[in-house]
Amino acid sequence: MFEKLHKNAGLIFPALATIIALALSGTLNPYLAFVATSWVIFGLLGLSLDVIWGRGGLLSLAQTAFYGLGGYFGAVIAINLAPSSGMTLIWALPSAAVFGALIAVALGYVIFYSRMGELQSTILSYTFTLLLWSVTQTFKLDVGEARIGGDNGLSNIPGIILGFGSEAKKLGPNEAFATVVVVTAAVYFFTRWLMRSNFGKIVDCIRIDIEKTELLGYDIRKYQLLNFAYSGAVAGLSGALFALWANYLNPSIFSVQEALLVPIYVLVGGLGTLAGPFLGALIIGGLSFWLGGGAAGGQTTLILGTTLILLVMFLHNGFLGALDTLWKKFLADPNDAARSAGAVKIDTEVLDSILEEAAAQAGPAKNLSTDEAFKRFGGVIPVNKVSLDFASGRPYSLIGPNGAGKSSFLKTCVGIYRPEGGKILLDKDDITKTAIFERVHKGMGVKNQKPQVFGENTVMENLWIAAFARTRDTVQADKTATRILGMLGMEEQKSVQASALSHGQQQWLDIGMVLCLAPRVVLLDEPAAGMTNEETRELSLLVRTLAKHTTVVVVEHDMEFVRTLEGHVTVLHQGEFFAEGDIETLRANDAVLDIYLGRGEHV
Amino acid sequence: MELDFLATVLLSSLSSASILLIATLGLAVVYGLMGVINLAHGEFIMVGAYSALTATQIGLPFLLAIPFAVVTTMIIGAVVELLIIRKLYGRLFDTMLATWGLGMVFNQVAILLFGTVSPGIGMPQWSFKVGDYSLAVYPILMIFVAAVMLAFIYLLMTHTVYGMKARASIQQPQMAQAIGIDSSRVNTMTFAIGSGLAGLAGAILLPIIPATPSMGLFFAVKGFLTVVVAGPVTLTGSALAALGLGGGASVTASFMTSVVGDVFFFLVTAILLWLYPMGISAKWRRKL
Amino acid sequence: MNKLLAALSLTTALTMTTSAAFAEVKIGAIFDLSGGLNIYGIQQDQALDLAVASINEAGGVNGEDIVVVGYDAQSELSKYTQFAQTAVLRDGISAMFAGLTSSSREALRPILREANIPYFYSSLYEGGACDRNTFVTGSSASQQLSILMKWAVENYGPRVYIMAPDYNFGTISGYWIHKYAEELGAEVVGEDYLPLSMTDYAPTIQKIQAAKPDVVVAIPVGSAQTGFLEQFAAAGLKEDIGLISTNYGSGNQQIVVSPQAGEGYMSVMNYFPSASGETNAKFLAAWEEAYGTDTPVVTGSVDVWNAVHLWAAAANQAGTTDTDEVIAALQSGISYEAPNGTVTLEPGSHHLRQNMYIARGNANNGFDIVETFTDTAPTFENEICNLVDNPDVVEHFTPEN
Repeated sequence: MFEKLHKNAGLIFPALATIIALALSGTLNPYLAFVATSWVIFGLLGLSLDVIWGRGGLLSLAQTAFYGLGGYFGAVIAINLAPSSGMTLIWALPSAAVFGALIAVALGYVIFYSRMGELQSTILSYTFTLLLWSVTQTFKLDVGEARIGGDNGLSNIPGIILGFGSEAKKLGPNEAFATVVVVTAAVYFFTRWLMRSNFGKIVDCIRIDIEKTELLGYDIRKYQLLNFAYSGAVAGLSGALFALWANYLNPSIFSVQEALLVPIYVLVGGLGTLAGPFLGALIIGGLSFWLGGGAAGGQTTLILGTTLILLVMFLHNGFLGALDTLWKKFLADPNDAARSAGAVKIDTEVLDSILEEAAAQAGPAKNLSTDEAFKRFGGVIPVNKVSLDFASGRPYSLIGPNGAGKSSFLKTCVGIYRPEGGKILLDKDDITKTAIFERVHKGMGVKNQKPQVFGENTVMENLWIAAFARTRDTVQADKTATRILGMLGMEEQKSVQASALSHGQQQWLDIGMVLCLAPRVVLLDEPAAGMTNEETRELSLLVRTLAKHTTVVVVEHDMEFVRTLEGHVTVLHQGEFFAEGDIETLRANDAVLDIYLGRGEHV
Repeated sequence: MELDFLATVLLSSLSSASILLIATLGLAVVYGLMGVINLAHGEFIMVGAYSALTATQIGLPFLLAIPFAVVTTMIIGAVVELLIIRKLYGRLFDTMLATWGLGMVFNQVAILLFGTVSPGIGMPQWSFKVGDYSLAVYPILMIFVAAVMLAFIYLLMTHTVYGMKARASIQQPQMAQAIGIDSSRVNTMTFAIGSGLAGLAGAILLPIIPATPSMGLFFAVKGFLTVVVAGPVTLTGSALAALGLGGGASVTASFMTSVVGDVFFFLVTAILLWLYPMGISAKWRRKL
Repeated sequence: MNKLLAALSLTTALTMTTSAAFAEVKIGAIFDLSGGLNIYGIQQDQALDLAVASINEAGGVNGEDIVVVGYDAQSELSKYTQFAQTAVLRDGISAMFAGLTSSSREALRPILREANIPYFYSSLYEGGACDRNTFVTGSSASQQLSILMKWAVENYGPRVYIMAPDYNFGTISGYWIHKYAEELGAEVVGEDYLPLSMTDYAPTIQKIQAAKPDVVVAIPVGSAQTGFLEQFAAAGLKEDIGLISTNYGSGNQQIVVSPQAGEGYMSVMNYFPSASGETNAKFLAAWEEAYGTDTPVVTGSVDVWNAVHLWAAAANQAGTTDTDEVIAALQSGISYEAPNGTVTLEPGSHHLRQNMYIARGNANNGFDIVETFTDTAPTFENEICNLVDNPDVVEHFTPEN
């Protein structure tokens, strides 16, 4: 019962709060209703940041830019339409949301498609807001009845009018409060639904591990951009509500103080909780109203500043986060099952049937080949004109001493590194310039050196998101994920958070995710690292079985493991092809021994 | 366009870039060596300015007021590092938010202590002529000050034990720890030095920008942008970014309007970040 | 989240109902008591309290004591709207005295018009506000510049350079400077509008030198003004080029600036503490008794003082604080013996006809009055705005259109 309540807390408590707010709205003091309306609006603005920061992983300081622009845009429309048609919401809100989203897309395109660093993205979004602040001081424009007058702002914005026609009257503070609560609740519940939908799940994965999400075949930049657009839409909508509430807008909406107040709302309430920003806005708004209007007037900034420091240091997850941690202590720990996990045993028959089914769905194995692939970093050339061919039938191993360029070669094939010269082909398909996620679509499956799993998600969710990347179908993804789960023998651990698994188990989970993609070419970078001898034996079995159905390339240090693969071995040295053959031949090769032992003329 | 005008534009643009660099270096050192963006940097500049102002008011000559301001801000910086920054290692955005809160506190404390109006100390009334144009000496002197500060930090990083340790800590953190470098002590020192540089900026720029509680804001904003555009290479990167952004904005303002100069600054920042998403120095091989 | 809100509303509701009222009349006050603008806001608020005390001492308004409901806008615009609504919805005020920047006035104006409460705006500004409920006791840009420009062209010469902040106050002042220059046969040889984030004045100073003006009208705001002044003086330009302003000294800039930079900077304003007259002496004595001599009185304080007294006089004349009757009284050509001489409210434009002083910054961080212009009319506002004939007009007129 409590588990259920906990799971649905984000639904039940906000719903309760909405009902209480609506019930009280009639009897509230008008002035309090008026002020409280602004807190709800600020909460909505906070929600827009929580969507892009708490969920999307980008601390955007441009939220007030979307908010302000949305506000101006919505207000201009309201001013022009209200005298004749009444009803301000139906025109102002959607247009403000669309405008906010469009601006967010423009800014987001620069941030995401140039692959900007985290800090740089935050600072660029901040610059954008400041630029607007600077420019709007003198920006003057008459749009119909609306006069945008630079620093003097945009005045005479009608209030919230619900009735239609020129006779319709502006709502009083209490009705306006109720209306804003209804609109906000609608946006909140829609956002919650969206963030729990498949879209939201993918956005979460991008935040947790952006590279892995792309390696699963998701077009991450598209999702980031869409999420940013949604966040811009929410911000724009809240801006329009603010404009109708304040009846006045001015460039100060783009100011530094405003921009930085939004992360505070989110942090106080709890990052990533969606409901948190409302709590944060309520607390900060209430605090500042009480301090600013009362005897302690003037010390508001002092108290806010101190609060912020203390929050960041001691209540990192905000009030809701802290509450959640506390609550979870009284619930059963879903990660308990991680401790009871046994060693993975691969049932080759199950694996065979899975792989056959994958082949039926995704087609036959594909050949991977490189033609004079060349990659340099300044003076270092980790991949120097390497031409290799890989096909299915038996596993391929890439070996070589440290710094031979094995991992770099793999990364070049995957597309993490863009080669300066040469070609990479998948069957006859030139994929040299293809985006990573498209290569995955074409059948490439990659497992990097470190296990890449989405630690906050459960084992089942990890497999599901991988399966969904290929099938794009909820039911199909369920089926595939369940089968792979069974093959890994992890049914007991399906609800365990991936971060609670041991290193070896995470490796297996990662391999399981790659298998969910039904890849036609599998690239494994040191898959045996961190595994016990027993696990390594199972892995070897898996790789050999896999190679019967698909093309498999393994980069490995562990010579014994390479030997058990009984496959084709290629030696790389200083970024160049050095030798190839089976492992026994190479072991007898003096030149190979020389480079491994660091002796002789080959070093 | 006359030659003397061009010459003065060149000189004063260099001076503008230098002023920006002076105000930015403390921030750049902390960012480069600790990976932390100190949003209270502007307020440290303000603290430096008020320290120097107070020192002159109690009778210290301006030249002695500058070291007084540096020491004051260094002590405050060290305390802040020990009490706050240390607790937030590895949490870049939390550090940003905490230092922002700190900036708000400093700002309000300054208002309480000094009010919003304090007498300025005035700029030395020296000027010189280039052709028909007269220039104030003090702002031009800032070119020299910026060069000295750069040289000082370079020597500090390359010729002192602290500098070696600090560089080791960023380049090879594990190795540094393994050979017994106490990175938290190095960090305290780094943050104190960064704060001291901010204090120095506030003090030395006091004749140009009078002390007000909110004086740090615009320096800080342009400073953040400069540091982020510069990227990981502290000295050369910041110097180049300050020269390009600050100097460029100043040249633009000279030939067009001041507003265009300001827009130039923000737009070029955006374009540079688009072209160099990790900062202009992200792929350089030099480290200072 | 709204649960807390409900709890909060209950407690606040309880505390609010305890304040009962009898035989008193409430006025609202919203000024920036903290934040960047509080150099003006605190003094405006102090002037309000002083004025209210003096009126209450003299018997109040229609025999009732004035009670002030004060708010701190914290130099944030959104607080103005919030507190204005609170004052209107909760406190039941009879008049509102609030605001410093033009944007704060524009934020407040619609609220008080809708609530039909007289609103007094007391600060120098770019001019042009026209609204039946709004009364302006500060001077407008045209009012100041018409005098200053004539004086400057006569005393310095016909080549004028404009250096102004890049927002309404600056650009509209720029318009008037162009207009008066043209009327006087002078010439604007260059202009530069500075963004508010400006910290670097070197380019402007070069452009000024390149334009070779006789006089620079320098009206940047806040610390930009002092920064510019220092650099202008240090470059040695003060000897050859006159420097005039309509806002220098409005907020103690003369104290921030070093004496060598501030000396000789000319300013025009409707009040300087050094203004002569007995009323001013009395006012200053009362001010010093209440607040000491640490900071000189700014113009905005006198504007607020005058506003409160004008309202009280109108309410006494009307015999009530009912808005329509108070406005009728205010529109009756009412005048008041103010610290800055006799001020008269123009019935049509709701602006003040008052004295203007041209003063010169001296070596002691103060001003010496050079010339006094008595009873200067707000010509532009009188021309475009007649609220007696057209009470429904709600406009913020700009001279450009």
